[in-house]
Amino acid sequence: MSASGGDPVHQSFLAHAQFRWAKLALALCLLSLVAYLWHQPVDGANGGTWLGYTLGGIGAALILCLLWLGVRKRQYRSRLGTVKGWTSAHVYLGLSLLLIVSLHCGFQFGLNIHTLAYVLMVLVIGSGLWGLIAYDRLPGRITRLHGGGNREAWIEEVLDLNEQAIGLANALSPEVHSRIVASADKLQLGGGLRAQLFGPRRKQGGDGLRESLEKRIAQLRSGPSRGAATAPGEQNTVMFMAGQLRQTAGGEQEAAGIQKLLDLLAHRNELVARINQDVALHARLQLWLLLHVPLSLALLAALVAHVFSVFFYW
Amino acid sequence: MGIPRVKIAIVGSGPAGLSAAARAAELGIPHLLLEAEAHLSHTIHRYQKGKQVMAEPAQLPLRSTAPFAAGKREAILQAWNDSARKLGIQVRYGAAVSAIRASSDGFALDTTSGETVEAERVVLAIGLQGNLRKLGCEGEDLDLAQYQLDDPEAYRDEAIVVVGAGDAAIENALALAAHNRVSIVNRRDEFDRAKKGNSEAILKAIAEGRIQHLSNATVAWLRQDAPGQGRLCLDTAEGKAEIACNRVIARLGATPPRAFVESCGVNFPSRDANAVPAVSARYESNVPGLYIIGALAGYPLIKQAMNQGYEVVEYIEGRSPEPADALLLAAKFRVMPGYQSVEAGIARIRERIPVLAPLTSLQLREFLLDSEVHQVQPGALIFRHNDYSDSFYSVLDGGVQIQVDEAESGRQIALGSGQFFGEMSLISGRRRSATVHAGPAGAVLIETPRGSMNKLIASVAAVRRVLDETFLLRAIQAKLAPGLDAAALRELVASASLARYAAGELLFREGDPGDCLHLIRKGSVTVARELAGREVVLAYVPAGQYVGEMALLTEQPRAATVKAAVATETIRLEASAFKALLSRHPQLRQRINDTFGQRLVANSAVDSQGGGGVVQFLMNQGLGEATDVLLIDEGLCVRCDHCEKACADTHGGVSRLDRETGPTYEQLHVPTSCRHCEHPHCMKDCPPDAIHRAPGGEVYITDACIGCGNCERNCPYGVIQMGVTSPAQPSLWRWLLLGGKEPGAAPGSADKGAAKKAVKCDMCKDLSGGPACVRACPTGAAVRVSPDQFLQISRGTDE
Repeated sequence: MSASGGDPVHQSFLAHAQFRWAKLALALCLLSLVAYLWHQPVDGANGGTWLGYTLGGIGAALILCLLWLGVRKRQYRSRLGTVKGWTSAHVYLGLSLLLIVSLHCGFQFGLNIHTLAYVLMVLVIGSGLWGLIAYDRLPGRITRLHGGGNREAWIEEVLDLNEQAIGLANALSPEVHSRIVASADKLQLGGGLRAQLFGPRRKQGGDGLRESLEKRIAQLRSGPSRGAATAPGEQNTVMFMAGQLRQTAGGEQEAAGIQKLLDLLAHRNELVARINQDVALHARLQLWLLLHVPLSLALLAALVAHVFSVFFYW
Repeated sequence: MGIPRVKIAIVGSGPAGLSAAARAAELGIPHLLLEAEAHLSHTIHRYQKGKQVMAEPAQLPLRSTAPFAAGKREAILQAWNDSARKLGIQVRYGAAVSAIRASSDGFALDTTSGETVEAERVVLAIGLQGNLRKLGCEGEDLDLAQYQLDDPEAYRDEAIVVVGAGDAAIENALALAAHNRVSIVNRRDEFDRAKKGNSEAILKAIAEGRIQHLSNATVAWLRQDAPGQGRLCLDTAEGKAEIACNRVIARLGATPPRAFVESCGVNFPSRDANAVPAVSARYESNVPGLYIIGALAGYPLIKQAMNQGYEVVEYIEGRSPEPADALLLAAKFRVMPGYQSVEAGIARIRERIPVLAPLTSLQLREFLLDSEVHQVQPGALIFRHNDYSDSFYSVLDGGVQIQVDEAESGRQIALGSGQFFGEMSLISGRRRSATVHAGPAGAVLIETPRGSMNKLIASVAAVRRVLDETFLLRAIQAKLAPGLDAAALRELVASASLARYAAGELLFREGDPGDCLHLIRKGSVTVARELAGREVVLAYVPAGQYVGEMALLTEQPRAATVKAAVATETIRLEASAFKALLSRHPQLRQRINDTFGQRLVANSAVDSQGGGGVVQFLMNQGLGEATDVLLIDEGLCVRCDHCEKACADTHGGVSRLDRETGPTYEQLHVPTSCRHCEHPHCMKDCPPDAIHRAPGGEVYITDACIGCGNCERNCPYGVIQMGVTSPAQPSLWRWLLLGGKEPGAAPGSADKGAAKKAVKCDMCKDLSGGPACVRACPTGAAVRVSPDQFLQISRGTDE
């Protein structure tokens, strides 16, 4: 639409500056490949030829540049490009490493520090690809989950609903009250990494509370005679309800109160589930970094060892 | 005992009135100071305890018999009380003046207590606060009833009835409810007069039973049974109801003093709420012998008011002291070629610049005190097209060249001595519409800041009229009919009228007959069309552009509905005059046709791509008055919060944006962050004038901020906060290697006792390379855009 031909108002880091870094990475790969195919050393392609050293030098320099993103993105006053440009370069140059470093070693692998560095690099790039996919898919899902709301507001609402539920339960009976209080206490939002990713281990807002309350409504509404038809094994619930059945007067009113309580709990549990889902999506957005960053540091160490051993012990 | 008679009666014992009384007492002139309250200087008395009172403007010397220096409220009040006693000022407390009548030999002043005082001259110094509205029924003056609340913490376990449904009443009720049983009496059943936050908070408190709501009720009477024990009777729809209470707090606003002043025979120059009565150079109003000084005359600062109090007595005594501002003006005037004296300088300005001629001497001095006089070299740049400055320039000597269109370098307008420029940005709040250079002979210019100019426009009708007419002609020349002179446009200009629209109000509706063209002078509008039963916004049109030309060109009914996005002013040009102009100037028709064609293409593109919903959403967020806004594409945002961290790291540890909060439409998120409004709400009431607009458009707060919080309250978008910034920043390398505080984290070590100041986005105007939030975004999700780019945004970005 924009006839001016300038940059669009905004675009993804992948398309940054009309794919400048993608083009550059592609050119670098092509150049390396052409040189590799043209260069035919006597003892076969390996890291020790002049081309091997050149490609290795380029690879090592690239790795250091890519690692520097972690520093640059926190240098908020830096005017050395934009972080978006750096991220764009990080992605495309990182991918080009796969080819450049493979050509550097002439596809010679073994059980040594050199191949360890290579494997680590592949793992880093792999985790980076995972991150790319996460960055592509998850943001939209978070927005759709939010649907205009936000987590803070939901948490506030959950707390509010808890209070209301306790108020309602208090009017019903001490037993219902204590169970609602316990259920509110047991609510868990987020937690450790496992809980963040897969939700809390304990079932939320449950413990048969809903079932027993629903049964209670059915009994109140169908008259006391059917109360006896309760299945065995729900001894507690039966006892608890038997005590309440004595006051059959105002049964409909009590049923309505319980129904209201149930609706409220259902809404609360839905919110809790949504919050935990939100927590999980956010955790998944970060999860790949837990691999990517430590692996990158390991790669740096292996790279130093690789260069050191090449120059001093080869 | 007959009616007391004095030479000078002074009404109001604020800084101005007290200073006048002090001078009169010192000179031994028979005088009487009438004060409605039981103490001197009620407005300052009402300041909160320990408040630091400023002595602005710092460079203005104080000339008063009463003392004054910046300091704590208590010290200032004490000094004034001491001085009043020592000088023997005659004060009548509790004497609210209800009428001032001119008589054959002076004035008769009636007070609410039934007394009458006669005086030869009257000095009116009642300020602008007005009188607090009382309950207006039996018992309104009982100790049980109070009309303000200094410290809600002072009351415990009382039954308190708050009367009123405005912000003050709600805030008081909520604060008191923490430790008391509070009821709120509301004349209606809603709180829609209050701010949204307040009305939500009170409704929640009522729903939770913390406050009792007595709706559709008015107070019938209040009776006291014992000290601190009373009964309040309410008139309700169901009849009368009595409630027992320990205290009644009525927050019913204040009556502005204007009606009273007019009842004394004083004229106001316009109906504008900010207008002040015109007074002579000697502070005399149009009623001979009735003088007006202080805030009521348009001088809200304490020192100015006290100087006037001294001077007015001198004038009444027939002396003419040199005004206290003479030295300041002399310093400003020195750059004028051939400068001789302040008086000569003022006379010269008045004679040379017609738009300033209708000002009274006092207004002109005030205007010049706020302004700067510049001597500009030939050809020097004054401002550039698209600069964001908004001051107003008058040409005293020499001339300037205005270049309206960058592309047409030949088309220049020359302005000479006595003319003015800069009114476009002043009125529209938008960027400079032209580039201005000094003429070949150089120029002497008077530059006046926006605030002072707006004050002048509000109080001098003639200035407003001249500015409006000039704006009209120049806007038509710039936007509609370039190259046509005033004579060719006379008919069209004569047909023009000013139209005002509230946010959301319609300029015209789809299908209406096309009877006029609107040139938008201030604010912005949206253009929408009904598609499949749904209103779809096609375009956003900002100030400086026109709408409504389509129907006039095609002779068809209106093809779209145009609605004000924010409070908007337009110049309405009648269809007949416009069509006549077009028939006389075919090249003009061509030009309008071209714009028309472009709009048609743009509209149909929006139609087919369905971007209208986004524009509507953005307008609903108040972005119609924005100049630059931070938006986040949530499809790209990885929630890393580097935008917030970058903001905090570059601004003393306090982030001025909140990424998470704020509304979202489809993938577009509007975070809580400054939009740099065209007419910034935050600037409205800044006592030290600390909020400015930089040439790049950034609205920023200077170090002059006194932390009063007015801007925080005035901002409808909640983007200003009161915070303590810290000069120390967490070190990146220490964090990387040793851990601890990450850059961008809030510095916990900020000085606890440091005064909070207002902080807001300054668009990183002092950092090269643009806003840190956008530069720190790793994925390109954060963008800063101007409203002109909204449509581009709305057309999707993932291509």
